[in-house]
Amino acid sequence: MKKIFLTLFILSSVLAFSQASVCGQFHRKYCVVETKRGGKEGWMYNAQSKSGLFNQGMTSKIRCVIYKGMDYRINVCVETGDKAVYKIFDARTSELLYDNATASGEPLFEFQSTASRQLIIEVTVPNGATSQDKHKPMEAACVGLLIEHKVTDRQGFSQY
Amino acid sequence: MQRKHFLIAPLAASLMLVSCGGDKTEGGDDLSGVDTLKTETQTEQITETFFQVPSPGEMLTFIKMVGGKNNKNVSFLNSPDNQKNYTDNKSKALNFGIYSCDLSYCSIFEIGSEALRYFKTVKQLGDQIGVSSAISPEVLKRLEGNIGNPDSLSVITDDVYFTSFEALESSKQGPTLSLVVAGGWIESLYIATSLAKYEEKSPVVERLADQKYTLDNLIEFLKKYESDANVAGVLTQFTELQAEFNKIGEKDAAAATDKSKNVLGGGKELAITAEQYKAIVEKIKAIRNSYTLTK
Repeated sequence: MKKIFLTLFILSSVLAFSQASVCGQFHRKYCVVETKRGGKEGWMYNAQSKSGLFNQGMTSKIRCVIYKGMDYRINVCVETGDKAVYKIFDARTSELLYDNATASGEPLFEFQSTASRQLIIEVTVPNGATSQDKHKPMEAACVGLLIEHKVTDRQGFSQY
Repeated sequence: MQRKHFLIAPLAASLMLVSCGGDKTEGGDDLSGVDTLKTETQTEQITETFFQVPSPGEMLTFIKMVGGKNNKNVSFLNSPDNQKNYTDNKSKALNFGIYSCDLSYCSIFEIGSEALRYFKTVKQLGDQIGVSSAISPEVLKRLEGNIGNPDSLSVITDDVYFTSFEALESSKQGPTLSLVVAGGWIESLYIATSLAKYEEKSPVVERLADQKYTLDNLIEFLKKYESDANVAGVLTQFTELQAEFNKIGEKDAAAATDKSKNVLGGGKELAITAEQYKAIVEKIKAIRNSYTLTK
């Protein structure tokens, strides 16, 4: 049994290594939000964005930082066009702050926060989302988590 | 979907992400209940947590937007002349991050001629740490063609940072990557604190206090490579800085007032005092200067 596990571990490592850049900057190419006016409307790319190769039903989490006084926009996209499930938690309290299941799986979410904080964004790829790409495992697909930000428009008079 | 039990092990390793991250399960963060791989017969999916760090450019852009538009001061940046002093791998990686941040600063604050100088320095150090493919001669041409266009300049210099980041990640140079990120982050704070004096309710000072959260993530990221002696040294310094940040007090955040937007409520606001600010600034300066080998 030990040999089997060792073999599986080595195989898995080889698999991971050989496909490390399969998804690359997937989020920068395929998760770009099309706006009604065609422009970026002030949204700036946030370096905390990420792409990864997910197996069906797989869950992964990122811990990121958001700041008060900023607007954020999250877009989670799956290579196959399926909708990913994602939840946003306060990293400190584990309080669930948003679940896109409550918005019919809508991939896009714009928000701001009353305080700077660490968030956990937990992304799950649904069963059935598979890639036809021969370079990837049969049951895997690229998933992109694009985060964008902009300074919140100030309302009324401001000292700045 | 056909679940195959023999795929469990590959599942554990098959999440390949391309930016700053970690591959450890976060202790005490049992959000999904599916964190643990227990036996070969279970089909539970593995949950990993990746620790993200905002780019240095984000901090600098914020400073510019809240009141630093006319700033052209470059006196506190790490002079490109110092590049020749960085001969070991650790200082090359750290100062690649530092110079990348300085390059962003020059772009964001529209100091075009300096941006070119810093770009060339970043390019030279990049060649030495293995990201030459990410900084092609074409990028220099784009940069030269956009000297008078700060928006384009910022996009180009951001791209230099992101592509370098990706190149290091793809080539499995985790320790080097973590040093680059650490160098870029500490330089962004050094610049911010060189520009901003303590003032209660100053947005820049508040943003500096909020770096407590980013530092937490950065430390988790560094821990992934702490077996590397160079990273371990940086981790020790950053942990000392974290101790200063941990002295900052907290208060409940004010309730949301804008009903037209989705607002994540609750949370804590950090309330930094002048003394705490001073101690943090001094620590940042000491760490940064230990990397640039300057006073």
